[in-house]
Amino acid sequence: MTVGAKLLHDHKLLICVGSGGVGKTSVAAALGLQAAMQGRRVLVLTIDPARRLANSLGLSRFGNQAVRVDLPDEFAVAEGGQLWAMMLDPAHTIRDLIHRVSPDQATADRILNNRIFLAIADSIAGSQDYMATEKLYDVVTCGDYDLVVLDTPPVKNAMDFLDAPGRLARLTDQQIMKWFLAPYDKERIFGRFLLGTSGLLFKLLGSIFGRSFLDELSEFFQAFRSLYDGFRARSIAVIAMFRDSKTAFLVVCAPTSASIDTARFFLGELRGRGMPCAGVVANQTHPVGEIVPDAESVLGGLCRDLDGDLSSHTTQTLLARLGAADRRLRELSALETRRLVQVRRAMGGGHRFWLVPRLPGQVHDLSALHRLGRYLAPLVPPLEG
Amino acid sequence: MSLEQLVDARLILVTGKGGTGKSSVAAALGRLCSESGRRGIVVEVDVFQSSMPDLLGRTPEYEARPVAPGLDVCNITWQLALSEWLQRAIPVQRLVRMILRNRLVGMFLDATPGVREIVILSRIATLCEQYDQVIVDLPASGHAVALLQVPWLADDLLDDGPIHQRAGEIIALLGRSDTRLAVVALPEDMVVNETIELVEHLAQVAPVLGSPVLLLNCASSPSLSFDERTLLDRLAARVVADSPAAELVAAGRWERDLELATAESLQRLSSLGLPLVELARMGALGGFHGGPEVVVRQLARALARALTQQTGEQQQEQQQEQDGGSP
Repeated sequence: MTVGAKLLHDHKLLICVGSGGVGKTSVAAALGLQAAMQGRRVLVLTIDPARRLANSLGLSRFGNQAVRVDLPDEFAVAEGGQLWAMMLDPAHTIRDLIHRVSPDQATADRILNNRIFLAIADSIAGSQDYMATEKLYDVVTCGDYDLVVLDTPPVKNAMDFLDAPGRLARLTDQQIMKWFLAPYDKERIFGRFLLGTSGLLFKLLGSIFGRSFLDELSEFFQAFRSLYDGFRARSIAVIAMFRDSKTAFLVVCAPTSASIDTARFFLGELRGRGMPCAGVVANQTHPVGEIVPDAESVLGGLCRDLDGDLSSHTTQTLLARLGAADRRLRELSALETRRLVQVRRAMGGGHRFWLVPRLPGQVHDLSALHRLGRYLAPLVPPLEG
Repeated sequence: MSLEQLVDARLILVTGKGGTGKSSVAAALGRLCSESGRRGIVVEVDVFQSSMPDLLGRTPEYEARPVAPGLDVCNITWQLALSEWLQRAIPVQRLVRMILRNRLVGMFLDATPGVREIVILSRIATLCEQYDQVIVDLPASGHAVALLQVPWLADDLLDDGPIHQRAGEIIALLGRSDTRLAVVALPEDMVVNETIELVEHLAQVAPVLGSPVLLLNCASSPSLSFDERTLLDRLAARVVADSPAAELVAAGRWERDLELATAESLQRLSSLGLPLVELARMGALGGFHGGPEVVVRQLARALARALTQQTGEQQQEQQQEQDGGSP
């Protein structure tokens, strides 16, 4: 079994992280397809795939519903293998979550109708990564799948996703709730007399935010307070799931300097947090073969066999152009190799490295995913020195 | 609006999908501003890993620091923006210190939705009073939308108080005719999809911003003749895989695919009816040899060239109108 195949066989959860635009979604889907072909029941969980990729996986834009991807015979799927895909709908997920952790319907309704909640749920960024971890826990623990592959949402800062599980628990932290809600608990009027520092601070906050907002915020916090235990338990469970030996993070990068900085950062963060990392997928690279002799000697004869009906200088100008393109491609490839050495130096023992070339055209159908997946099976030999 | 209005603006907001090079474009706009003799600043918004050390040669701090004649750089971290904002809203220093030192108030402000965004935008508004041009490297797509819509949410949720007032001032700033938006894209299918969605989304949440200028980064202009393309296709069908001949043909097809992708992206983006500027792929200009700072200088040159071209075209049009109008 190749290392790539073993990766898919030995884990229950694979999490693809990396900066935006590096092909994380395609890598996640390609891994899912490979695992299904090995005979596993796989779910690929994604946030916002390119439309054509979504179409080829049979995903509609809204959902939170797992959809079975039909795999034609040519994929030679081993017995029992199934590929499912789900597109995450953050607004839907947060509503489900509130219903689940609310002690009763009235509490859930109070939260779901609060204007501040509506503002957070639908528009404030940062909820996407939280919702991804939330839904992730459900699908990993539900027992319907042997393997879940997560394509993480684009984040503003690299560690946002890793920090996501604790975010709502922090928002509902008991201490701050107690402090903020103290004046409301006794008497639900903000303007009552409070002595000492707290009273003064409350007055200041009132003058900064305006009282009606504080009243609404207190209602929001009050309703949320009863949810604290639920959030906290869930965040602890999600962090434990991140650290589980059946979980592996895969850092996906493109050979650009910004993407490589993010990849190195992720490698460090995962190590620091004790989260298992399988290695790095360097996607969209431009590998080249051996240096080519001049274009005329390699292609001149063939060109002249084929250019009979074309204008007189076509062979000459095209050969010059191919030579120049080849030089430019080699320059780019050499630059990428130098950049990727930086990532490989940042990798720890046991980390794997996959080199995936940029595939011609866009990766948005099953056969392109299959081609991409085949690059994820073999390994590049370890870095010397 | 035109590219000219963009580079002349008081406040330029740069966004786009992650990985499109919006930080490089923001840095290049900063270089152009510096060359024009105006006082400008390139602003990053609460970033953990700044791109500016590579692009402009200096790690930005909260306070503005110079990187070129007349050009500063800064990174607005929200905690320092908060303390600045509190000092502005509460005239008594002792009270500001009391708020900032209180851990629970800190947690409260951290947890209260919208506080971060408002204090960051407030700092941007303050910078607009101090500089001729403020160039903001906004977060990527969805995060930029989330940041920009907060003043309207605050305006809606808060009835009074200094935050409500500041939100109103920020809305007024965003609606000014010399506040301009640039969206950076790449000639890739997925990026073009997201760019179109982003433009539509921004028009919904912040219509006062007006229409953006689209900048297609890494564009490859068509350079092969019809006959050359025909011959290339014939060669591709004939060469033996893994041979030197196949290598050469693959290199040619690689560049031709980039040209095709550029043409397709330009066509799809032009359907938005917005000003669209091509910024040439650096490899074609020899940019692989230099580091990011060289890329920024080349981007600044490409912007300057596009600007002269556009101004030239406009003058020509005006001339034609005049010629046509006179008897």
